[in-house]
Amino acid sequence: MSETVLRGKAWVASGYVMAYDIIKQEFWTSRLDPAENARWVMAGVEPAFDADGAFASHGYRFIVGGHNFAGGGKSIEHVITGIMGAGIQAVLADSFARLQFRNAINYGLPFITCRGIREQVQTGDELEVHLDTGVVRNLTQGTAATAAPVPAFVTEVADAGGMIAFIRGHIANGTVDSLR
Amino acid sequence: MDYLGKSTFEAFAALGVPEVFRRDRVICASDHLVPPPTAQFATMLNEWRALVKQHRIEHFYDLGRQGISHQIMVENGHVLPGTISIGTDSHANTYGAVGAMGNAVGVTDAAVAMAIGKLWFRVPESVRFHVRGAWPSWVMAKDLSLHVMGMMHWNGHLIYKTIEYTGPAIDQLGMAGRMTLCNMTVDLGAKNGIIAPDAVTAEYLATRASDEWSPLRSDADAVYDQEYEVDVSTIAPTLARPDRLDDITSVDVVAGTPFNKAFIGTCTNGRLEDLAVVASILEGQQVHRDVNLLVVPASSRVYLDAVRAGYIATIVEAGGAVDTPSCASCAGIHTGVAGDGDVVLSAGNRNMKGRMGSKNAQIWLSSPAVVAYSALKGVIADPRELPASKWIDQGAPARV
Repeated sequence: MSETVLRGKAWVASGYVMAYDIIKQEFWTSRLDPAENARWVMAGVEPAFDADGAFASHGYRFIVGGHNFAGGGKSIEHVITGIMGAGIQAVLADSFARLQFRNAINYGLPFITCRGIREQVQTGDELEVHLDTGVVRNLTQGTAATAAPVPAFVTEVADAGGMIAFIRGHIANGTVDSLR
Repeated sequence: MDYLGKSTFEAFAALGVPEVFRRDRVICASDHLVPPPTAQFATMLNEWRALVKQHRIEHFYDLGRQGISHQIMVENGHVLPGTISIGTDSHANTYGAVGAMGNAVGVTDAAVAMAIGKLWFRVPESVRFHVRGAWPSWVMAKDLSLHVMGMMHWNGHLIYKTIEYTGPAIDQLGMAGRMTLCNMTVDLGAKNGIIAPDAVTAEYLATRASDEWSPLRSDADAVYDQEYEVDVSTIAPTLARPDRLDDITSVDVVAGTPFNKAFIGTCTNGRLEDLAVVASILEGQQVHRDVNLLVVPASSRVYLDAVRAGYIATIVEAGGAVDTPSCASCAGIHTGVAGDGDVVLSAGNRNMKGRMGSKNAQIWLSSPAVVAYSALKGVIADPRELPASKWIDQGAPARV
């Protein structure tokens, strides 16, 4: 069973964060590898992150965003592997762009819909996120918010090590027909 | 599509099944990278072609028969009403034009679907845009898409939802315009866009679909999360200003703005009906000497039809350049990318910084009619200044 309570420091986006800025175009066809993709992740989001290993060096464990996080219509999975490789355990936002919402589930990274969360967190705050109940505690400010809990299917995929491993397991066990 | 083709087959290989679930249901098309602009991409395409051959994929639209994958899927009848189809490029929403659920996915999802013919979906709320009124001359489906973007912004009202376009003004719209409308629902932040199949759909599919299909439409008493009314007769030719798709203006406000590159093509506006409008505007005229006009048909079939109809000759005679079908500069990878200081007026779908090349270029978006007329003037110009006799109604399919 994956960890259901996550703790750590948050980075809060000030504006609209696009997939294009999380992973810049020059890396779109590079190999999917969390450590490698993490080196330049978020490079287009803020000038301070536009250096090798810059975002990961801060030790953030959560990203907090507004509406349509990771929007702009790119399906590249480097967005997710890069964020995960940088040590991010979950992303909380008002809403998520669909392509990266799917990719996040397929890689086992919780994308948690939490309306208004950006107004309740400042960069550097310590958060405690309860995946099963959706409770988000801001330990620094002593506040709490409620997010949509993560469905069991999403946890099953994460526990299997991602969608490829999850489906490979069902294929190997002859249980594909049970998926519905 | 070619850009993620090799990666998709690699993810497929990790699933442990030797064959794709159906060789006639996996469609491959060259679009983003043809003809290949660099040795690196040429090599990647070669590796992808070997995989397409190894898996004996039945429908492969490679250079010479190529087209933007969404155009290929619809124009060849691979997508039918009431079905679900996915693509690895974001504008797979286009399939909604024939009453299908079209969705973009990443390579992991595409690989899973290729292996087992199934995929997980979140059932979305649906939002209805009921569009009435008569289409004014020189107002195209693209203008309606941009108008809706200006109404809604990315404030969460459409994120991850289904957009259904209904109403008399949609009934009057031909398949090309319906494809434009559904295509851009992804840029509105929606999960998909859909238009119920009708007589226009049936006529379009009559010569294209090889399988049987049955019309599937929303129930008469369907409940929508939100419903909006739009009167298309009040819409002007509409543009998105550089950098943000929801920074919308009508053409008269920005008429006279200089630009130096004009681009017409893409899965949004590279169809025969679009090129018919462009040719009607350019006929007997000359593109302004300070403007480079580039036209790229959405598929080889569109290209050939446009050659036969004389549209390509008209464009070239007017001083426009025409290139072999691809996503071209809309994807910012090749065929006319933007450089520092360029101001591009594009009939494509996205205008964020760097989309078409340099981050120091500006991208305006509009209909093909606005791009073509402005290309003659050298500044953004209002095609409603043209005689109404030159307008081609968007209801009927363009005739060759």
